[in-house]
Amino acid sequence: MDLRDETLQSGERRHRTRIPTGIAGFDQIADGGLPRAGVTVVLGEAGAGKTIFGLQVLAAGARDAKEPGILVAFEESAERILANTSSFTWGGPSLAEVGVHVLDAQISQAVEHGGEFDLLGLLALVAAKAKQIGARRAVFDGLDVLLGYLSHSGLVRREVLRLREWAHESGLSVIVTAKADAADARPASEYDFLQFMADCVVTLHHRVHDTTALRFIRVAKYRGAAHSANEVPMTITPCGLEVAPNTPSELAHPASTERVSSGVDRLDAMLSGGYYRGSSILITGAPGTAKTSLAASFTAAAARRGERTLFVSFDEAPPQIVRNMASIGVDFEAHVASGLVHIHSLRARAESPEAHVARIRALIREHDPQNLVVDPLSALRSRSRDADDEGAALQVIDHARSLGMTLVCTSLLGNPLPLTEKTPLGISTIADTWMHVSYVNQGGERNRALTIIKARGTSHSNQVRELVLTQEGVTLADVYAVGGEVLMGTLRWEKENEARRSRTAAHTAGRLREQKAELALAQTRARAETLGREEAVLEAELDVIKAEVASDVAHRTSEVDQLLERRQADAGTVPGLGRVDPVSSPS
Amino acid sequence: MSEAPSPDPATPGPGQLRVCLYVAGDSPNSAAALRNLRAALAHLATHSALVEIVDVLQHPERAFRDGIMVTPMLVRREPLPERRVLGNLSDRAKLQHALGLEIPQ
Repeated sequence: MDLRDETLQSGERRHRTRIPTGIAGFDQIADGGLPRAGVTVVLGEAGAGKTIFGLQVLAAGARDAKEPGILVAFEESAERILANTSSFTWGGPSLAEVGVHVLDAQISQAVEHGGEFDLLGLLALVAAKAKQIGARRAVFDGLDVLLGYLSHSGLVRREVLRLREWAHESGLSVIVTAKADAADARPASEYDFLQFMADCVVTLHHRVHDTTALRFIRVAKYRGAAHSANEVPMTITPCGLEVAPNTPSELAHPASTERVSSGVDRLDAMLSGGYYRGSSILITGAPGTAKTSLAASFTAAAARRGERTLFVSFDEAPPQIVRNMASIGVDFEAHVASGLVHIHSLRARAESPEAHVARIRALIREHDPQNLVVDPLSALRSRSRDADDEGAALQVIDHARSLGMTLVCTSLLGNPLPLTEKTPLGISTIADTWMHVSYVNQGGERNRALTIIKARGTSHSNQVRELVLTQEGVTLADVYAVGGEVLMGTLRWEKENEARRSRTAAHTAGRLREQKAELALAQTRARAETLGREEAVLEAELDVIKAEVASDVAHRTSEVDQLLERRQADAGTVPGLGRVDPVSSPS
Repeated sequence: MSEAPSPDPATPGPGQLRVCLYVAGDSPNSAAALRNLRAALAHLATHSALVEIVDVLQHPERAFRDGIMVTPMLVRREPLPERRVLGNLSDRAKLQHALGLEIPQ
């Protein structure tokens, strides 16, 4: 199908058919951007952000793509428009310097309406201006105001068609904004034709829920392009509009096999070496179960490796966190000073979850960290909306994943038996590693028990460990299971002592037996050595005796020879003194 | 005819009418506006009204300078206060009012 090819097209081809909007997240839901040399209609009620949308696209084009732009203002004066956008990083009077020109086409109240008119002059003037400054993009902001002076829908239709033809001929990428009914973000019926003729229709929508403003954006129509037609949360930040698409398009992130330390040695051991880099780790537990401390230990370990971490905390100020962590031996102060740890506190109830997500995204862009901590992620749950309850939290996980960041997030979870309950946040199914810290009441003590509920792609310990906070940091201790009961705290200590004693006794007995055996061996060896020496002496004596005997025989033989020589006797003629002949000698 | 001959050699006296009509070439609405304006001024004495026609297709810089973006647009410069009428001036009553002329019996 063509639509699929369209989405897979190369960057170059995409560049020819799309203009990037510079609105974070928007191009993702709009097939890479708005139609180049086409007409986009942006509809929304008053205050929905239509003008910001248009100007942001122009600012991004002028600044990033060397495509200057023109905004034709029908509803507000040029000065007011520039003043209204001066709070944005890209806005204000400096817009003119980068190549964004605002033309004032307001029809004031004082102007009499004396008959029909057309857009001929207007379009010629915009074309002249575009030629003068080399503009590639144009925004007609609040065109409905001007079209409202036309006496019937036939004329509106004619002028809208004229605009489209002009856009296609001029090669300018055109955005037309118009007001829509608040109820369903649809333009008043006479402007239906606007949507009909447009190559792309974007609707903006906002409503107030539980004192929090929620904004949404939707690509309602996109001719010949694959796009998500879903309503997507949007926020307005100092960077302008930010869209938070909740699309699964980023699931193809590369999986790292590298391990990073959790900051707790024994936990690393339980996890076969630590967390996977780029994975998401969820730590659940009741208040006070040291979830933050675990996250902080990870952060400090990362800083020691020289990695940057963005630590987003809800409802706890940075100095408070630094102080609290110092008490358990996690030195944040030095890492904050060196810039490796950036702590940012947000007020959970001050903004909508979507706004928080946008803020976190902006912070990530600003600091470019390798790791992200969100404490607690459950602060991103909306307070009263049932549907899409964890959308914001999932977006954070998705975003961290797509950037290859290791995400450690905590979540309040009071139930001591999480396995039997559905987690309030379905994120537990998305998270790669899920650890739960619970309180165990025993022998008048309250101790913390850590369980690794799941760890994707890791052979992990299934054992419960006691989590101990000391001045030197977070450590884990073995727990004893006695009669099916897990022992912790003092009970564990007693049990440990007992075990240590019995181990010592067994050790001593063994040592004694070993020494006895060594002694016996040494005695035997000594005996063997003595015997060896005796053997050598006897051998030597035997040699001496043999030598004496041999010498004696030789002596006597030579005496006989001499005697025979002296007497000159014939051999064998002297009786009794004959030559010794072994053959003839008497046996 | 389209270029502004200002300052006018015959400096308009008090109460003299000075108008400027911005048109886009000879498009139907622009042509109609010019026709309707001429008709409205037809009964006036030759020198009592000074009419300037600006074709924005030829002279866009004039339109930008005068803050005119939509045509046809009639601007009454004098007498003050300035008045503006948008459209082809087919609404005779509004044109007369803008020009400060009584509707002829």
